[in-house]
Amino acid sequence: MKPATTFSPARLADLVGAENVLTGAAELTAWEVDGLRPSAVVRPGTAAEITGILAMAAAERLAVIPMGGRSKLGVGMPPRNYDVALDLTRMNRLLAFDPADLTLGVEPGVRFAQLEQELAAQRQFLPLAPAFAERATMGGIIAASADSPLRHAYGSARDQLLGVEFVTGAGVAAKSGGRVVKNVTGYDIHQLLAGSLGTLAVITRLNFRTHPMPLRERMFVAAFVGSEGALECCRAIGKSQLQPRIVEVFNPATARVLQAPRVLRDRWSVAVAAAGHAAVIARHERELSRMARERGADDFAVFDGAEQDALFTALREFPRLALEAFPGAAIFRVPILPGAMPELLHKAQAVSERHHIETAILVRASGIVYIALLTPGGDGDARSAAHLLPACRDLMQAGPDAGVRPMIEWCPTSLKREMSIWPPPGSDQALAEKLKRLFDPQGILSPGRFLGGL
Amino acid sequence: MNATLLRELEQLLGPKGILARPEDLMLYENDGSVEEGRPDCIVFPRSKQDVVEIVKLAVRHNTPLVGRGAGTGLSGGALARRGGIVVTFSRMNRILQVDAENLRAVVEPGVVNLDLTRAVEGFGLYFAPDPSSQRACTIGGNVSENSGGPHTLAYGVTANHVTGLELVLPDAQVVRVGGAAIEAPGYALARLVVGSEGTFALVTEITVRLMRAPEDVRTLLAIYDRVEDATNTVVELTARGITSAACEMLDGLMLRSVEDYVHAGFPVDAAAVLLIELEGLREAVDAQASELQEVCALCKAREVRRARDTRERDLLWKGRKNAFGAIGRLSPSYYVLDGVIPRTKLTATLQHIEDVSKRYGFPIGNVFHAGDGNLHPLILFDRRDPEQLRRVIEAGGEIIQFCVQAGGTLTGEHGVGMEKSELMPLMFSDADLDLMRGVRSVFNPTGLLNPDKILPLGKGCGELRVQPLAGGPASAPHPSA
Repeated sequence: MKPATTFSPARLADLVGAENVLTGAAELTAWEVDGLRPSAVVRPGTAAEITGILAMAAAERLAVIPMGGRSKLGVGMPPRNYDVALDLTRMNRLLAFDPADLTLGVEPGVRFAQLEQELAAQRQFLPLAPAFAERATMGGIIAASADSPLRHAYGSARDQLLGVEFVTGAGVAAKSGGRVVKNVTGYDIHQLLAGSLGTLAVITRLNFRTHPMPLRERMFVAAFVGSEGALECCRAIGKSQLQPRIVEVFNPATARVLQAPRVLRDRWSVAVAAAGHAAVIARHERELSRMARERGADDFAVFDGAEQDALFTALREFPRLALEAFPGAAIFRVPILPGAMPELLHKAQAVSERHHIETAILVRASGIVYIALLTPGGDGDARSAAHLLPACRDLMQAGPDAGVRPMIEWCPTSLKREMSIWPPPGSDQALAEKLKRLFDPQGILSPGRFLGGL
Repeated sequence: MNATLLRELEQLLGPKGILARPEDLMLYENDGSVEEGRPDCIVFPRSKQDVVEIVKLAVRHNTPLVGRGAGTGLSGGALARRGGIVVTFSRMNRILQVDAENLRAVVEPGVVNLDLTRAVEGFGLYFAPDPSSQRACTIGGNVSENSGGPHTLAYGVTANHVTGLELVLPDAQVVRVGGAAIEAPGYALARLVVGSEGTFALVTEITVRLMRAPEDVRTLLAIYDRVEDATNTVVELTARGITSAACEMLDGLMLRSVEDYVHAGFPVDAAAVLLIELEGLREAVDAQASELQEVCALCKAREVRRARDTRERDLLWKGRKNAFGAIGRLSPSYYVLDGVIPRTKLTATLQHIEDVSKRYGFPIGNVFHAGDGNLHPLILFDRRDPEQLRRVIEAGGEIIQFCVQAGGTLTGEHGVGMEKSELMPLMFSDADLDLMRGVRSVFNPTGLLNPDKILPLGKGCGELRVQPLAGGPASAPHPSA
């Protein structure tokens, strides 16, 4: 359990007002991280307040975990200590939106869904499509490197990020990058913060590029009996001139998790979205159906309107849907070159059979494979966790070669007590440790959650 | 430089691996910028191991080290500001691996940008970053500067096309950051190193992403009688979300000098042209082309020409990419800026540039990446006159300040280097700059690698080469008045 702390929450109240500090034990359960409960929740309204909070925390060695919609608190190792939940949801303002320049600036607590609506009014969007879209905040999406089906056409979340303002673990307010779409002025510290899981600094403003909404969109799903045909089809799409918006491949178990209408639940599916002018979509439909047929697809379906929205949402929400159906599941995120995917899927299948655990697989053709080990039972289910451990250890070694470094993005806390969710650190670990000490000299920010114990 | 170090370097690399005669060193004291820095010797490693040994020797003799590719940089990034050893990567120019299936290549830093595209075009692939110097510049230099190019508009800068790096740190440790896959767990150090302008590490191996060549490319030239009609076209295209692969602007001065030099077919009587490229599926290009025509007509383009074949297309691009060289024929020297502005501010910024040109009495040509608001004013002057050099930097500073105050930045793709380091306080606070110094120290604690770059040498704003304007750009004082 967490060591008792000596700090007085009254001092937090001095910084942000008593109404923005919560201390009652019962109230705090919703801010638990891996079963650890903070002593206080503080909800700052400004970057200046965050500077004060972190300066105080650094002086008193209080462990602080920054968070937004709390949708990704399960990502990372259990924190070594946890005193203060730094809840950023009050900082939810759209600070700047210049539709004609396709750029915007937001506070970290802006919910993705809220921003999506504001942008849609100008026929623009942010190509992120993160899981937990209703709750997820912009700060959390960047800090946790949230992945998205739209990465296929638009690049990752960090590719949309133009600059940030932040407060370091030493309580120093600083910034990096800018607000324009092209910029090489100074070191790209914002790119270092993206994906650092709140271990280096607290982000107080984010600037993004936006994109024009496509005229129209349509999805296509080809169904295959086995993974080979599905991956072959995916490969053919990659080699063609087509420019789809998303390309995802998933197995029957994932089809059952997604619960999307008209998706065959006993088939491997290749889901493709095309967007733009009618002639562009028609070309995609023509060529995709041919490619699918030639690789042995036994069904090719066109998705429009509400069905298309449902399928897209389900693909976006895959980790949430898997965890809702199987709260004890472990979900691996494996960055991998397309050419190595067949071998990885083969190994996942072998692990699944050896340990008698059903496996839901979702392949993002751009280079990420999600493998969810679907164990029933909740977090507290010891038998389920004991069952999961050897399979996870097995799968952690499943990289076809040393270059593949899987991580477990989601799993029960009990599993994290037995094994690391992170791959072993690489030759750059010493640099990472020095950066951590530079940004957070007292080690107060999300201590222990990141790769290599940072 | 001490004779022992020179001897040890020669023992390591052989007599052909080192240059130290004054007449040879002169060739390395410039790049494409107006800056200078005289090295004490030039070395040519052939392998990572050579680089490691060079670094060890430099450390032992406490001598500065600067990495260099082809020397085409535009901000003094590869100049030896404090003397020392320039490590030139021209002999580490092997393409180590091409993985067409996975759209990756592994290259040494000295590979010339266009040579990589030539090596993979048989697979229908190419390397997307396309700086104007791509026939000469190296991928190692692109990594250092996070280089862009006209097609950055659609495909992003170098950082978007690098997945992994092998580094030799200034303590001679070899470290790998990133990998071949699309992402790697841990801090995104590869992303941080790209664009660090050679101040973090010497890069010895680069894993890049390759792209599939589009099936259709259409190159259009929109011709205008007024500059503001051209800039308004860019504003309107952006606002309507018509995304071209490239959208370049050349003003009248540039058109005339380029045409005189390259004979690309540019109209010499126009006030400005937009060189716009559409790429992708035939159907998408067709649809975009008609939208584009509509916007150009709305914004009073005199004419929109279409390149009829590859030859015409190549000629137009040759004109664009040789624009700096063409200006070199008109003027003894030019000072090129690289400020970025929000695209909605294009018209006002070009007006400001014209105003600066008049007040300082320097002709200024504009050739730039209009689609992403990345300006390249070329200020023509004579560097043999020290007073002109001083005033040209002042004029440039005024334009850059205007860009920053408009919500933009100092540099979009050329880098800060030694040229803009003293302008950094226009954008960054002391706290921002201190943190950047800290990050550099994590990689380069002794500061021996590429010293005195990016970060201002003085502390605080007092050291600014250009005094900040009192009010907004509208209230800019007229120094010539």
